[in-house]
Amino acid sequence: MNRKNNAGASALKRFVSNHDFPRLLILIAMFALTAVMQKNFFAIKSIVRNINSFTPLILLTMGQAVVIISGGLDLSVGSALSLLTCVATSVMREGLPITGAYALVVTFAVAIVIGLINGIGIGFFRVPPLIVTFATSYIWLGIALFLRPTPGGETVDWFQMFYKIRNIEGAPAALKAFGEIIPPALVLVLLGCLVWWVVSKTKTGRYIYAVGSNSESAYVTGINTSWVQIKACLINSVFIFLAALFFVGQNGSGDARMGDPLTLKAIAAVVVGGIALTGGRGSVYYALVGALIFSFVSKIIFFANIPNAFQTLFSGVIIIVAIAGSQMYTLSSRKEMEESKLT
Amino acid sequence: MSTRSMTNLQDSVAYKIIDRYKKLIIAFLLIVFLFVIGEFTVETFLTLGQVLLTLKLASFIALFALCQMVAIAGGGTGLDLSVGYMATITAVFTAAIMDGRNSYLWIAVLVALGLGIAVGLVNGLLTAYLKLPPLVVTLAMANILQGVINVYTAGKNITGRPSPVLRIIAAKSTGIFPNIVFLLIVITPIVMIIMYKTKLGLKLFGSGANETAAYLSGVNVKMVRCFSYVISSTLASLIGLLLLGNMGIAFKDMGSNYVMPSIAAVVVGGVSLAGGDGNYIGVILGAIFLQTLTNLLVALGWGDDGKWIGFGIVLFALLILYLSNRRKR
Repeated sequence: MNRKNNAGASALKRFVSNHDFPRLLILIAMFALTAVMQKNFFAIKSIVRNINSFTPLILLTMGQAVVIISGGLDLSVGSALSLLTCVATSVMREGLPITGAYALVVTFAVAIVIGLINGIGIGFFRVPPLIVTFATSYIWLGIALFLRPTPGGETVDWFQMFYKIRNIEGAPAALKAFGEIIPPALVLVLLGCLVWWVVSKTKTGRYIYAVGSNSESAYVTGINTSWVQIKACLINSVFIFLAALFFVGQNGSGDARMGDPLTLKAIAAVVVGGIALTGGRGSVYYALVGALIFSFVSKIIFFANIPNAFQTLFSGVIIIVAIAGSQMYTLSSRKEMEESKLT
Repeated sequence: MSTRSMTNLQDSVAYKIIDRYKKLIIAFLLIVFLFVIGEFTVETFLTLGQVLLTLKLASFIALFALCQMVAIAGGGTGLDLSVGYMATITAVFTAAIMDGRNSYLWIAVLVALGLGIAVGLVNGLLTAYLKLPPLVVTLAMANILQGVINVYTAGKNITGRPSPVLRIIAAKSTGIFPNIVFLLIVITPIVMIIMYKTKLGLKLFGSGANETAAYLSGVNVKMVRCFSYVISSTLASLIGLLLLGNMGIAFKDMGSNYVMPSIAAVVVGGVSLAGGDGNYIGVILGAIFLQTLTNLLVALGWGDDGKWIGFGIVLFALLILYLSNRRKR
């Protein structure tokens, strides 16, 4: 994808005429605006705090991007995330460090099952993805409510390593020093990027694009399309799992309703990142750009001293405007592309 | 020879009837199945009062499901996730306007219509003309409406009561039958006639069944779809008035819990989610099924959690049963 053999000027020209250039401009503008509005924006403390508050959305957006590129769409990410936090906090017992390891294993297993069920619905039975994940989202919500009718639960001390290593009592000094420089949240995001990087280098990565852009032709060329879509859902599960680890580390509790607002934000961020909702087009790394734009916007809303009551309304309006704007841009540029092909 | 072909014909007619009403029969059998389970596991499950209460509560689900059915019928994988919030916002605003007076009911109805048309237009324009997935657009719209409710109710209690007329329609009973059930009985034939016998219904189902064919025969598919969202939102807005009448007061989450059941009812009722098909009687059966399921789960000691798991599994299973499009080798 990224060929680095272009010399300076032509590379720059290509970059500016790039389809994704406006997104990067918006990102830079939002970054600059946040930097102006937030005091001590460049202080290490605020950078770490910002990374922490951006991480869940970034992870969920990247997972959602993989599913959308494969031709699916997952409306259940928010409830799946909530369920995973509830599972983790139900397994752990305070003061028994070994239960943390159990929690990791059990939560990961549940994440895989979630991905499998969504994937089987989308890929194997080929039910329209939006509606089938809408159905499963209520199953996850129900189970989460069963485990945790009210927010709460126990965690082991070392689970905070996914949020702030400094807070752990018996942690080695070297690890603490590492955590001061590189926040664990960033490690989780990099881990997510690594997962996608590895996948995109394999056949599966290519297949995901092929199935998303034209499932029929992919099937005819001998790709097992069902299995590819199931795999896309499983990758999404890994991202949700990472986000759940971060949440449990941060809050030390599980909450059955906590992930709900993130579902729509993640989809909107994917759209803003230039990934076609019809599948097969876009880049997972640009989804990260979309998530960053959204995160900066919510920071700006926060610092603009808008009353608390207006926050839901504002973010709702921004989401719908962002989705509509991106779609208009995509439609118009696609029309341009088709016209240029004709002439 | 002739007798043989006659029997063949009869067979095929009977087969066709069963095939046509297959989904209605499944929905009906599901309800019977639940009542049988309820009768065996819970004492006093099948009492007259219980059945009438089920009918009353199911009526609201069925009304919300009507909105979904209209949005689905136009095709384009349409669904409206904002109906519950639409109803809530209307209830919250009109409660303050009416404040227990009949003389202000007409203003409340006008407000409800205005709100419904405005929200429906936004939904319709974004989905039909910008080709965005309806579920995403209407989910975002649900967020916005929730945001408006939050702003309106910030730092104060929601005041106001419904007008007595609304109380009579939505909450009271005539004899033992809840009035809302009569309303549903009146609405059903009207809906069926509009959907099956008028030009509008034909256009709506045509756009859903085969977009290209409808377009080629001169139907403005985009406008029809946009219009279906306007109807859906407007109906939801009016249902908000009824919901207010039933509850007696307006509160923040009064409508949002109806979104999932309304969609599930449509699916249980055998409406094709691909659009272009739908039978409102099936949807009503679906609503009764879901309410019975809720009752059964509550009677067995499950609360919200069991309800959502149950609804989710039923919806998931029926989606696979009705919509599975598996490639056969």
